[in-house]
Amino acid sequence: MQGFLGTQAGFAADLNLVIQLAMGLALVAGMFLARAKRYKAHGICQASVLILNLAMIAFVMWPSYSMLVMTRIPARLSQQSVAIPAIHGLLGVVAEMLGLYIVLAAGTSVLPRSLRFTRWKLWMRIEMALWGTVLVTGLGTYVVWYVRPLH
Amino acid sequence: MMKGILSRTVLSAALLGTLGWTAEIHAKNVTLAADEKPAAIEIKIDNFSFMPQDTTVAPGTTITWVNRDDLPHTVVSTNGKFKSKALDTDDKFAFTFSEPGTYEYFCSVHPKMTAKVIVK
Repeated sequence: MQGFLGTQAGFAADLNLVIQLAMGLALVAGMFLARAKRYKAHGICQASVLILNLAMIAFVMWPSYSMLVMTRIPARLSQQSVAIPAIHGLLGVVAEMLGLYIVLAAGTSVLPRSLRFTRWKLWMRIEMALWGTVLVTGLGTYVVWYVRPLH
Repeated sequence: MMKGILSRTVLSAALLGTLGWTAEIHAKNVTLAADEKPAAIEIKIDNFSFMPQDTTVAPGTTITWVNRDDLPHTVVSTNGKFKSKALDTDDKFAFTFSEPGTYEYFCSVHPKMTAKVIVK
């Protein structure tokens, strides 16, 4: 099915891009909720983004990634069409895992106390910075794959 | 008597000549028929497009797609007749078209990349 953003991308890739940008905005909004001391709303907002992102990874990003990146590593790692998504994938996995850990540690009692962070703000800021980097490399991946390869 | 022999010789020579000429023609036709075997055709994939976009071939022709782009592409028939794996740069995919008809195809990674093969 053809996309709706006027590039060479299909519908799923265009939808994923729009959802990723919206999720980025939602995380920033969630950050402001925490600053306003609305912690419950903050937790719900950030956790929803993480869970929605898991679905996007499973149904959109992983199928493309396995076909267009995994089969070309390490032979084509010098190409931008492989290097940028490879960095995106690697950082994305770290960001998603860290995010899920923060949600589990901060929002639930699933993890034992000894396995929980104590410096919440620091780790949440690291997560936000990481997520921003992943978003930028994701945009780069979209451009390289569907707009025009950066020669 | 001599006249009869002469005329028979001329007639035989003419007949043999004709036969020889016919044989030559026949041989030529066989050779031509062999030459007329459907040729292998190559379609280049580059810059988000299939080149040429429309290809007309005879039944039995094998078409080979070659990816010259620096991105992976696929060759997928809209009616499910053929489907390549993701073709990396310089990878090839071949399919032999034995049935007449119009075969539309596209790249599943970049669905706006479309083209067709007409077999007739």
